[in-house]
This record gives sequence, structure tokens and C-alpha cells, in this order.
Amino acid sequence: MTQSDIIRFCRFLRANGFSAGVTESLTSVDVVRVTQVVDADAVRWALRAALSSSKEEWDSFDRLYDAFWNEAPRDRSGIERSVKTEPRGFWVLTGEASEVERPTDREASSIAGASAHARLKKTDFSEISRSDQPALDQLAERLLKQMSWRLSRRRKIAGLRGRVDLRRTIRGNISRGGDPVKLRYKDRKPQQARVLILLDVSGSMSLYSMFLLRFAHALHRPFKRADTFIFSTRLVNIGGMLRSRNLADAMKALTACPADWSGGTRIGGSLQEFNARHARLLSRDTVFIILSDGWDTGNPEILAAELRSVRDRVRKVIWLNPLLGLEDYKPLTRGMAAALPHVDVFAAAHSLQSLLELEKHLSW
Amino acid sequence: MRDIDAVVRGFEASGYVLDRALATAVYLLIRLGKPLLIEGHAGVGKTEVAKVLAAFLGVELIRLQCYEGLDVNSAVYEWNYQKQLLAIRIHERTEEDIFSSSFLLERPLLRSLRAENASPVLLIDEIDRADEAFEAFLLELLSDFQITIPELGPIRARHKPHVILTSNRTRELSDALKRRCLYHWIDYPGFEKELEIVRLRTQGVDHELGAQVVGFVQQVRSLNLSKPPGVAETLDCVDSLRALGKTRLDAEAAEATLLCIAKSVDDSAKIQAEGIDRILSRSAQ
Repeated sequence: MTQSDIIRFCRFLRANGFSAGVTESLTSVDVVRVTQVVDADAVRWALRAALSSSKEEWDSFDRLYDAFWNEAPRDRSGIERSVKTEPRGFWVLTGEASEVERPTDREASSIAGASAHARLKKTDFSEISRSDQPALDQLAERLLKQMSWRLSRRRKIAGLRGRVDLRRTIRGNISRGGDPVKLRYKDRKPQQARVLILLDVSGSMSLYSMFLLRFAHALHRPFKRADTFIFSTRLVNIGGMLRSRNLADAMKALTACPADWSGGTRIGGSLQEFNARHARLLSRDTVFIILSDGWDTGNPEILAAELRSVRDRVRKVIWLNPLLGLEDYKPLTRGMAAALPHVDVFAAAHSLQSLLELEKHLSW
Repeated sequence: MRDIDAVVRGFEASGYVLDRALATAVYLLIRLGKPLLIEGHAGVGKTEVAKVLAAFLGVELIRLQCYEGLDVNSAVYEWNYQKQLLAIRIHERTEEDIFSSSFLLERPLLRSLRAENASPVLLIDEIDRADEAFEAFLLELLSDFQITIPELGPIRARHKPHVILTSNRTRELSDALKRRCLYHWIDYPGFEKELEIVRLRTQGVDHELGAQVVGFVQQVRSLNLSKPPGVAETLDCVDSLRALGKTRLDAEAAEATLLCIAKSVDDSAKIQAEGIDRILSRSAQ
């Protein structure tokens, strides 16, 4: 095994999703040097220790190792990851707005009177007429932006007076002969919350999905540690697409996303998958937000059990249900009823107004 | 330096069954001085690796248990304020005097750098519980084996400690930290290996009883519990059975020791619902 072989193997792993960088490449040259005299297995294990950095990588290492060292080079391309770019579900993301011509500036400003704003803010997303759509888009963008600014500022001002900082107290009082005349305090470091959003994009939610995705996108700006998953029958992490992109780019990236747009719903199953594979994204300072109407075709007991295990690990579970905006809606669907005991905040998410009200639950 | 097989034998002498893959990682840790990050389910013996390694090398084990809110003052060093105040009052010392090493309280990380004779084993346990800020602080230690104290300047390790980090994967660790470490995932052991562990760890246990318990626990593990029993639970179970004077694991005995295996009401109910008899008969096959 020559050095260039090892480097090529590192590159092969990178092409297959490993995060191994230059440091790891150097380490692997070292470990091979040390273990080569032992036997082939030791080299394999040494490289596995040096190059993988998570259970997922650890599990796929053996397959890739065999593929690289034991098969003919032409077969290697077969195992490399293929990225699907088939545009699916585009209509969900753009709604029909993309087909409607944008109003001229004058038209827009005539719509954007104060009363129109107030009306639009309260309108249920499912009842927005075609002509109102662009105005609502603008309003949503502006208000959500404002909200994210407020959220970032609030965290900086907050903070309680904490413990006495003995170290700085002594230092500061040396000139007074060491008597702690003036106490110095440690401020509590403003801790940024982690936000985790699970967004239902199944068929029953399709009228709301577009706005809720925007909302998720808006939350990614103030919260540096935010992640968003979309689910219907399967779970897809879209945090990477929402983070540090403007709205238009993010939406474009999402169209290539292999989710089951407008399919059925398996909330319990999706949560189970989340807990099994991504639970380490949760911590005591996490606000966990589920955006769903609670129509679950799966087993409600699974939903309740999984939600409870999420709640054990986070600060707060917020369930936003667009149907709660309907006057006579009662959370009686089996899924919703099973979930409610494990939810800290249950609120509506049918209009811009209701989304903006969420702000108070996100800051503490 | 002793080779990989020597590591396997050395660990076995201390009652730890080490497969050759993990032995390779431990060997590299000793040989290359790279920190080793061990992940795995609860109770598979992650922490034990460090303890046994210290015994194997005949050096001191320094342990830092991580928790939420762990800060530099409790992990690295703290000035002895009472002593400083007294020194100022009674001996009228000046600033240079009171910020010297005789006023310094060593915490685990600093202690691991100031070991006098040989490289100690430094165990940083459950790193996933510490804050991300603390993780960032560890980076200096893990890459340069040095710690900077503003009043004293950098302190370098006389003998590079052997560092083992463990994590239960309750959260994602930073890439920078992972990049500095070798990685090993410890899975639940297979039947033979777990039986070997039971044999080594519980003196003179009946072979038949050991095999029954291991088979039973392995079946329970496949039930998809919220807290699947680890090897530690298997050992507890064997110990309890012996304390109860049982020589066979029958349904009654299994029921009595269920509290060693199921660590929540739900899990316990799940096992009951599955039927202890049925699990036992499946594991006997």
C-alpha cells in the first residue's frame, strides 16, 4: 500500500460522503505505516479508526474499503453517490404565484394600505385569492424578517446577573489591599437556543406548506443552530438548503429534494425515524417545533411514545396546527389527541398573524 | 513497543475482552499519541477501556466527567482565592506573588499535563454532555497538549497523556474535535463474546447459567426498547441471580431480575407483553 494509494482511498471516501479532510489523510498514512507490519486486518481497522468520525461512516466503511481495494477500478464509479435532481413538487413550493404576473409597483402599493395589511395578516393561507398572493408574499417577507431581527436582538439584551466572579474581584481589589470591596459578577452567557423544525408536507397540508417553509427559512436566520426536516411518508433534512441562502435560492434547491410531496402522512413513523437517526440534534436548549395538521394514518401510540421521548430531551415542544384557525376545530383526530399530552405549546399556524405570535415562545 | 496481540492479552488479564479492531485502535493511540474517541450505546464498556488501559500501562488514570455547564474552572484550573486573600492580608504579597503556581488548584486536565513520571491516561467521559464552548476549549489541549493560563503563560505536557474520549451520541460533536481523534464504535457484543465477558468478570459462574442470561439479554435487546440493556446489565443480572441463590434462569427467576434489565416502566411493560416465557424459549434455541 503506497502513500498515493492511501491518498486516493481518502479521496474515494470523500466522494462517498465522508468528512475526512487533509488531517485524516496524514493520520492514515501514519497508521498504515505502523500497522502494515502486522496483517491486512489491522490495516483495515486502523484506517477505519483514522478515517471515520461517526457511526454512519463507521458502518459504511467496510463496504467502501472492499469496493476500493478488492474490485477493479472500473467498478468504483458504481458505488459513488448519485444525486437525484429530478424536479419534484415544484408547485408546492412556488404555489401558483410563479405563474401569475407580478403586479406593477403602483398596484402593489395601492394594495398595501394599512387596512389591507391587517386583513392579509389574518387571512387563512388556504383562502388567499390569486390577486392577494403577491402582496402577502411581500408582507410575509418583511414581517418575518423583522421578527428574526427582533429575536436576535432580544437575546443580546437578556441575561441575568450571575455568580460573583472571584477571580476578577481579587484582581480588581488588589489596590485596596485585597479586601473584596467591590464585587465583580459573572454574567450568564447568553445562550442561543437551538431550533428544530419538523414540517409536514403531506397532501392535507399542501395549501399551507409554502408559507410554512418560508417561516422555517425565516427562523434559520436568527438561530444559527437551527435544523429543519420535512416529512410525509419519509423524513428529509432540508436544513442545509435553508441555511445561508436567500429565499428564492432556497426554494429552488428544495424543488430537487426527493421528498414525498403531497403524499400521505406518517407522523409517528417519521418521528420514530427522527429519534432513531437524528436524536443527537436534540439537547436541553432545543425548541422543537412540529408544523402539522395531525392527520396521521399511522398508529397513534407510536406517535405519543416518540413525542414523549423527544420531549424528555428538549426544552419545549411546540405544535403548530393550521386547522386550529378554523372556528369549530377540535383536536380530536386520533393522532392529534394522542400527541397533545406531550406538547407544551399548541397554537395555530394558519395565517401570518398566528405565525408572528410564535415569537413569544421562541425567546425566553 | 508491544504489539496488538500484547494489547489483547494485557486487557484480558484485567478482565476486559478486547476484539482486535479495538485493540488496533488502542495500539495506535499508544503508538501515535492520537486521542481516541469511543462511541457506543450505554453500558458496552466505553469507560472501562480507559480504566483497563491505565492498569495495563501501569500509569495513573485521570478522569474528567463532563456535564452541562462544565467550565474551565472545574476542568482545568482555579486560583486558590482564600489562600490568595490571606497572602495579601498577612504577608502583604504583591500581584506577581499570588499568581504563581503555589496558588494554583489543579483540575483534571491540568493535572494530566503536569504528570511527573509517565504519560497518564486521561479519560474525558461523556463529552457529548459538555457544552459546545467547552469542546472548543479542548481543541488546544488535544492538538498541542498544552494549556494557556493568562497569568502564567502556556503549560506544556511533560509526558503527553493518552487521551480517551467517550460519547453516548446524545448530540453531534464538532468536526474540529472529531478530526483530531481516532474513532471507534463499540457495538453490543455477539453471544460468544458476551459470554466470555461474563466468564471473565464474574468469578466462577456456572457456564450454563451464564449462557442462559446472555441469551435472554440478547433476545431482550432485539425488542426495540427505549433503553436496551448493555453488558453492564447482563453482569448485574448474573450477580443478582447468584445473590438470590438461583442456578437456572427460569421464568420466575427472570421476572425477579427484570429490574436489572428494564430501566423504565415502558420497557418493563414491553417485555411483559412479549412474554418472559416466550423470550426464554426463543433464547434457548
